[in-house]
Amino acid sequence: MWTLLTGLYQYLTQKDDYYILIVGLDNAGKTTYLEQTKTKYCPNYKMMNPSKITTTVGCNVGTIDIGNIRLNFWDLGGQEELQSLWDKYYADCHGIIYIIDSADRQRLEESWLTFDKMIQSEQLTNVPLLVSCNKQDLEQCMTVPEIKRTFNRSTAKIGVRDCMVLACSALSGDGINESINWMKDCIVRNSTIRPPKRQDIA
Amino acid sequence: MGNLLSYFSGLFGNKERRILILGLDGAGKTTILYRLQVSEVVTTIPTIGFNVETVQYKNLKFQVWDLGGQTSIRPYWRCYYSNTDAIIYVIDSMDRDRIGISKHELVSMLEEDELKNAVLCVFANKQDLEGCMSVSEVANALGLTSLKNRKYQIFKTSAIKGTGLNEAMDWLANSLQQKK
Repeated sequence: MWTLLTGLYQYLTQKDDYYILIVGLDNAGKTTYLEQTKTKYCPNYKMMNPSKITTTVGCNVGTIDIGNIRLNFWDLGGQEELQSLWDKYYADCHGIIYIIDSADRQRLEESWLTFDKMIQSEQLTNVPLLVSCNKQDLEQCMTVPEIKRTFNRSTAKIGVRDCMVLACSALSGDGINESINWMKDCIVRNSTIRPPKRQDIA
Repeated sequence: MGNLLSYFSGLFGNKERRILILGLDGAGKTTILYRLQVSEVVTTIPTIGFNVETVQYKNLKFQVWDLGGQTSIRPYWRCYYSNTDAIIYVIDSMDRDRIGISKHELVSMLEEDELKNAVLCVFANKQDLEGCMSVSEVANALGLTSLKNRKYQIFKTSAIKGTGLNEAMDWLANSLQQKK
């Protein structure tokens, strides 16, 4: 009886698990973005001092709850060598957030090439893409239309997927809520194609 | 009362964090431990049993356990798992033949419930040698990409030269401070 009741309780309170991959070139601000997201959505979460965030060589994880949805984040290292590890996560993810350093004009082309290469993966055919133009708090950063001009060259490859370019600043937290909300809506809409993972009920 | 006391001691950040250094034999675990503690390269012999030292890094104290890595004593690692805050997993980046065994040990270790919340820090050691494995090779060989719910970080280290260790300790200190 107890098992039945706890099972029922777990069934009623269980959340749909979605996984989101945060990628982009190194030093784009992926880890800061994740930290800021956790700060905004997890009560009592104390953000790590952004100056103490070092280069990620590996993976950081984060979990946030919005309503009955649970979003799990994977923040991967962006160095060229580590980009070869990204595709291991493609099959399991429900959404991709691609972060760009809007202040780094020299590497925009490189960033686009990496993005273009990524979206050609077959495993990502139906996955919503969010391009986040980070570091908008810096003066002389590139604006969203400027970045779009470069990234529009991928339009054909993006195809029918949901794709959005949004401005944000991971440091100040501007634009994070909009990004996450957009992502959440797309993932839910897309859930017939990529269903959420359900926790097993013991 | 006890809660109050531990709250205050927490404020000063002098709670000892428990860290395990694990890995196959000959990976350089003991050398790393003493490099962290006294910043010197000591001559080591294969560890049968364990070495434990307190390492002070900035305002954090770490209680670091270095367990022997030989096949026959690996089953005893599990006796040390409880209350562990972080695992330093050391691999010999030159030893391509045994990386499979290393992966196997790592995977079975991470399945343990007691280590569910421990942070994983992989040291790709012996980077001073030429022709050693790169970070992405190590990540692939250890199957780290299949760790979906754990924060991990890989460091290129050389215990002999002392490279990479400070970065790793910085990272550990930050991650553990945040976990509190």
